[in-house]
Amino acid sequence: MFIARSEYDRGINTFSPEGRLFQVEYSLEAIKLGSTAIGVATGYGVVIGVEKRVTSPLLEASSVEKIVEIDRHLGCAMSGLQADARSMIEHARVEAQNHRFHYGEPLRVESTTQAICDLALRFGEGADGEESIMSRPFGVALLIAGCDEDGPQLYHAEPSGTFYRYDAKAIGSGSEGAQAELQNEYHSSLTLPEAESLVLKTLKQVMEEKLDSKNVQLASVTKEKGFRIYSDDEMQEVVSRLN
Amino acid sequence: MASSYMLPYAQQAPPSYAHPTEASQPRQHHWSPYTENGGVILGIAGKDYVILAGDTRSSEGYNINTRTARKVFSVGSGLILGVVGMSADGEELARKVTRKIDDYKRNHDKHITVSAAAVMLSRILYQKRFFPYYCQPLLGGLDENGVGAIYTYDYVGSFEREQSRAFGSAAALITPFLDNQINLKNQFVPGSNGEQPKQAGDLPRATVEKIVKDAFTSAVERQIEVGDGLQLVTITRAPPRTEEEADDDDWTGAAISVELSPLKKD
Repeated sequence: MFIARSEYDRGINTFSPEGRLFQVEYSLEAIKLGSTAIGVATGYGVVIGVEKRVTSPLLEASSVEKIVEIDRHLGCAMSGLQADARSMIEHARVEAQNHRFHYGEPLRVESTTQAICDLALRFGEGADGEESIMSRPFGVALLIAGCDEDGPQLYHAEPSGTFYRYDAKAIGSGSEGAQAELQNEYHSSLTLPEAESLVLKTLKQVMEEKLDSKNVQLASVTKEKGFRIYSDDEMQEVVSRLN
Repeated sequence: MASSYMLPYAQQAPPSYAHPTEASQPRQHHWSPYTENGGVILGIAGKDYVILAGDTRSSEGYNINTRTARKVFSVGSGLILGVVGMSADGEELARKVTRKIDDYKRNHDKHITVSAAAVMLSRILYQKRFFPYYCQPLLGGLDENGVGAIYTYDYVGSFEREQSRAFGSAAALITPFLDNQINLKNQFVPGSNGEQPKQAGDLPRATVEKIVKDAFTSAVERQIEVGDGLQLVTITRAPPRTEEEADDDDWTGAAISVELSPLKKD
């Protein structure tokens, strides 16, 4: 794919003569190595799901954290370099709390995504007066799920700093197959349980391991309950519904 | 030692640096960054409107700086801000709020609500906790349900949503009048033998306008810092959107109107 590899893939803020930023493009490749994460937005709420790669029977599955809370009304699933996500999540959490402090209201989902993407491009030497916190682009993509006055919404944020809103989106190693499946199965009148099943069904198709209630994780964001990670019992219930 | 500056020059002792002179004494410098420009503002919230009014006199002691100073500002997104105290600080605060409301709209792609703006203004005031803006602000707007809201503040950002409030040099004259006419304090339903208090209800806008004008004409009689003109700003619900306005980003659901009328100038 990258035949024209040259010195231009060294400098992280240097365009190649063809107008490409190689390091940013490589960071997108890093995501394709990550575990699959899927988000589905319905009128009742957003469901996000991830596969946990439980690589060893000695690994404590509950210590694999790929879905995290940003605020009561915001959750996030990640794929790529987990460690990179931590500073993005931290930034989003601070922004969300800052907004509550300054305006006494929750931060909107789009504004949260925008805040994360503002951070995504702050790599390299840093402009005058602006401190750079990363020497390279982030190697992680996020699915940001949330509920605000415009209802449940799902956003996809990339290391390139671009973001889009999706009805349903898959990222990570199985994303191509999963996205095609979502395109076939998604419709605008999905209920929340239907969305749960759709996420799991799609994950099941693209996962290398056999899906069970331990190697996947689900979370939802609804207007009533906000962000919630499914408990073991709930996971079991959704997985058994699948079979 | 007799102060040398009181003596004719010829009689003055030759300069003796051994003794302190007036000029060599430590001198108390003072710095007074605040002035009081007088005036009064009054805000009343109704069930579908807000009235915020202020007189247009700006004074310093016995001097009148201008008879046409406005104290109520439109700060964008259908909200209004009244300020009284030091007019320079008041105007600066209004500019800052206007700027931040505009920023909010650009950042979040929606108009700020009056409750969010209320918290924002509180934070702006507290940021200057140790060199406060010398003005008392009243923030007015329609809330998410289209109900009138007045938020009242102290100098450093404590705030509260209230039905009616007067701030400024005639606040002490107007407040008991509001208690009586708007909140119907200590008044009972006739024939209830003092058992059933009168309920402060939703007064029609025309009635409240009359009460506001009466409050100002009375204040002018007794307070020298109040007078010249009345600036009466009203927010009402805008008529339902037409089709052309359907995706007009400037549409806020609120209509602001300003009325200027004379007050006594003496």
